[in-house]
Amino acid sequence: MGGHHLHPHDHGDGHKHSPLERWPAGGKLAGALILVLTIVLLPRSAVTGLLIVGAVIAGLLAVSQIPLWHLVKRLLLLEPLVLGVAGLMWFQPGGGKIFAVVMLKANLCLLTTLLLSNTTPFTELLRVLQRLWVPWIFVTTLTLMHRYLFVLADEAERMRRARASRTFTRGRRWQWLALASVVGQLFVRASERAERIYNAMCARGWK
Amino acid sequence: MNAIEITDLKYRYRDGTEALRGISFRVLPGECIALLGPNGSGKSTLLLHLNGLLPEKLSGDGAVKIYGEPVAAKNLEQIRRQVGLVFQDPDDQLFCPTVAEDVAFGPQQLGLAETEIAARVKKSLAQVGLAGFEGRQTHHLSHGEKRRACLAGVMACEPAVLVLDEPTSDLDPRGRREFKAMLRTLPATKLIATHDLELAVELCARTIILDHGQIIADGRTVELLSDEKLMLAHGLERPHILHHLHPH
Repeated sequence: MGGHHLHPHDHGDGHKHSPLERWPAGGKLAGALILVLTIVLLPRSAVTGLLIVGAVIAGLLAVSQIPLWHLVKRLLLLEPLVLGVAGLMWFQPGGGKIFAVVMLKANLCLLTTLLLSNTTPFTELLRVLQRLWVPWIFVTTLTLMHRYLFVLADEAERMRRARASRTFTRGRRWQWLALASVVGQLFVRASERAERIYNAMCARGWK
Repeated sequence: MNAIEITDLKYRYRDGTEALRGISFRVLPGECIALLGPNGSGKSTLLLHLNGLLPEKLSGDGAVKIYGEPVAAKNLEQIRRQVGLVFQDPDDQLFCPTVAEDVAFGPQQLGLAETEIAARVKKSLAQVGLAGFEGRQTHHLSHGEKRRACLAGVMACEPAVLVLDEPTSDLDPRGRREFKAMLRTLPATKLIATHDLELAVELCARTIILDHGQIIADGRTVELLSDEKLMLAHGLERPHILHHLHPH
């Protein structure tokens, strides 16, 4: 087996486990858009409104049966970005409250997208985008990105293992240097692979 | 008419490496030919020329002809319709999310009707023993299944010439056996670049040995592969299977 199971919905057997996973992708995408727009458009003072939206998302999360640790891990991964933006709010009058509201809004938006991406196979979302007349170049780029994310992840993991098996020093500096070379190598390999994929596409009549 | 006709084909990579130094040979329709040679001998480079993927700027000089037509920019679509190329790394070739979408890619590019595309997908998947795999995600397939899916994607375009680059590398013995049995059933003209010498003996009546971008030998597979001196001189070896065919 080549790929990693990046999402809990990705059982590899095509079986959909929670009720939310069985809902049509188009409906879920529209629902997520409405939720995100509501969160963004609610004024800062409407904390009650935000809490209601939060309760709706919490309810959906419960129905989705996504393991809590899985969500928290992904949320923490994105948190530096949120902090980077929200942190700037501290420097204005009444910054503390604004910071809290922006943090709440951003995290609710993130939870909504996590909910969507963890209950909807990416391929279904792509099909919806195609049906919605999203430009083909955008859909193709997303399709290829999704397809080769797994290949690249596998490649990075193989390189990490190979590096670990010959890493005899515990020095942090060396580890960072080695990591930098792995990232560089990965970039070179990815661009070479991109060329081979393009060739394979041309060989089957890509215009 | 020859299915493939190559006359004095030369190619030099941008870094100056001379990959092909005056290759010439002809392939008749229906032939199955093994292309042998050590790593870096120019096998893959040669295969890319058959599909017009190399050279970067097609001159249309007639060094490569497919069914009499020189490979040139103006008839590239027709050439690629006739020549199906199966790449060495299945992950390069399976670029769509699901098996059905990937197999349908070629027929879609040919501009076929939806019903015809669906029929071709079904037929080619059955041909390679992957019936029922339509909805499977390509990155979740085993290596052997990926190989088969690649072949199905090419077969769906119904090419007259099938060009395969190391089709059995990384396959386990059973996978190799099954893949060879399947290849035998395909009616197209086949040119197979491989290090699998048993495949050459079992499937290909004719073999071309390539080294340093030149044709070293072109003849009957059993005769060439029995020549131990020739084999060893070009990074190859006499396969064990020949001991069974010609016991001492």
